[in-house]
Amino acid sequence: MTEFAIQTQDLQYRPGPGFEIRDLSLRVREGAIYGFLGPNGAGKTTTIQLLLGLRRAQGGSMRILGREAPRELPRILSATGYVPERPHLYTYLTVAQAIRYHGAFYERFDWAYAEDLRRGFQLPQGASISRLSKGEVGKLLILLVLAQRPDLLVLDEPTDGLDPVVRRDVLTALLDFCAQRAATVFISSHLVHELERICDWIGVMDRGRLTAELPMHAFKNGIKRIRLAHAPSLVGDTPFTLVSRESSGLDVVWVVRGWQPPMVQWFQGVGAEILEVVDLDLEEGFVELLRGARSAQAI
Amino acid sequence: MFKQVLFAQWLSSRLALALLSVLAFALPLVSVFYGSDIATVGRGSLGEWLVVTDRVAQVLPFFAVLVGALLGVLAWTYDIAGRHVYALSLPVPRAVFVALRFGAGTVLALVPSAALAAGAAVASLAVQLPPGVRAYPLELSVRFTLATLTVYAIIFALASASRRGQLAIIGAISAAILLDLGLLAFGASFSVTAETLNALTTWPGPLSILVGRWALFDV
Repeated sequence: MTEFAIQTQDLQYRPGPGFEIRDLSLRVREGAIYGFLGPNGAGKTTTIQLLLGLRRAQGGSMRILGREAPRELPRILSATGYVPERPHLYTYLTVAQAIRYHGAFYERFDWAYAEDLRRGFQLPQGASISRLSKGEVGKLLILLVLAQRPDLLVLDEPTDGLDPVVRRDVLTALLDFCAQRAATVFISSHLVHELERICDWIGVMDRGRLTAELPMHAFKNGIKRIRLAHAPSLVGDTPFTLVSRESSGLDVVWVVRGWQPPMVQWFQGVGAEILEVVDLDLEEGFVELLRGARSAQAI
Repeated sequence: MFKQVLFAQWLSSRLALALLSVLAFALPLVSVFYGSDIATVGRGSLGEWLVVTDRVAQVLPFFAVLVGALLGVLAWTYDIAGRHVYALSLPVPRAVFVALRFGAGTVLALVPSAALAAGAAVASLAVQLPPGVRAYPLELSVRFTLATLTVYAIIFALASASRRGQLAIIGAISAAILLDLGLLAFGASFSVTAETLNALTTWPGPLSILVGRWALFDV
């Protein structure tokens, strides 16, 4: 086994003018629950599709579960559970038929576990998928991928549009599975607070580029909004990453990443006075991170 | 795995298959609609009867095209609707999945063929033929099966092709028609479309099975 469940190097993909995935280098550690954040159109779904061979990258390399993609794709997919952004199951099948169909393709498919999950999710065996509610389809998709007993779960907005009760059921089943098997989870979502609760790593995607990739604790604790007096106008080498800065009356507000308390000394060294250090929650940090990345691109 | 693909494909196309099978069974029977005791009728009536059966037989190649085309399209309908995401995310090489789909469709295509064979057999047994006239239920059934499978294979390949591939085929056909119009404007007697169709429908062209005589009863 390798250290990373997913590792890409300088991945390139340009489906047409106006959008491209550029120099994408992802590193998802084995056993991690990796939250893949980004605004609409950032390239999250495209990245997932590239990882799973649904689209062909035009450059770069990928290793998934220690295997080279897309060359060893069938072997990778046999150990990967995928929940796409839009449900992809054949809608004319019933729940039981969909389970039998899906399970036939996976050697490790756990039929007893699938049945347990079906009962737990209260999915009627004979109901046609076309007649299931959105929440029930979401549960069925999670059931199918968990019963595969995968080493890697790739979930593209798995709880999008689900009500809070269903969302909780789905995430509970997911976390139970991860606790049992130490599987790696790569989950993209718009719901920042949801990821904050379950993820231990985070990657932020914007306009086809990976803007940040760091442990969740570093993201949550390391992003600060600092109000300064006498802030330097030119910033040279800093022990942190300056995400953004803006004037607020006489003061200046900096948003920094990689903050640690001893860095106070750096400000004293440049003659600035720290008036206030504010913790940002994940959503605020995410927004500031995107804002900083976009203004840097604009420059 | 194949069993599940076959079952799923059967579920998605069972209504069409049932309807096609009923039609396939009924078509040969139409040949004997005009009476079952042909041995006793006069020469003129026999000739008339053979003309009618021949007309019914002429429908069969078109019916084979319909069955093959419908099954070829139905094999991919739900995958196309889902942009092939489910199929491509399954842990089998693409070629294997295509083979599974093709195999399942082939098995299903045999259902209307079997119905036609049964209908042809019943029709053959239902009439007392005069000397010199023979029934060819087996030959007709084999021909129908081969024609159905040929058309199914072509439509299956077209339906599974990428959008770029499909556009290339449509482009080639359009170019041939435009070229013909150009040739026609210059008074040329050569037609690319006609020559291509001729090559396809003349032995050993793949569609040659569709032309020629399709007769259940003949001398």
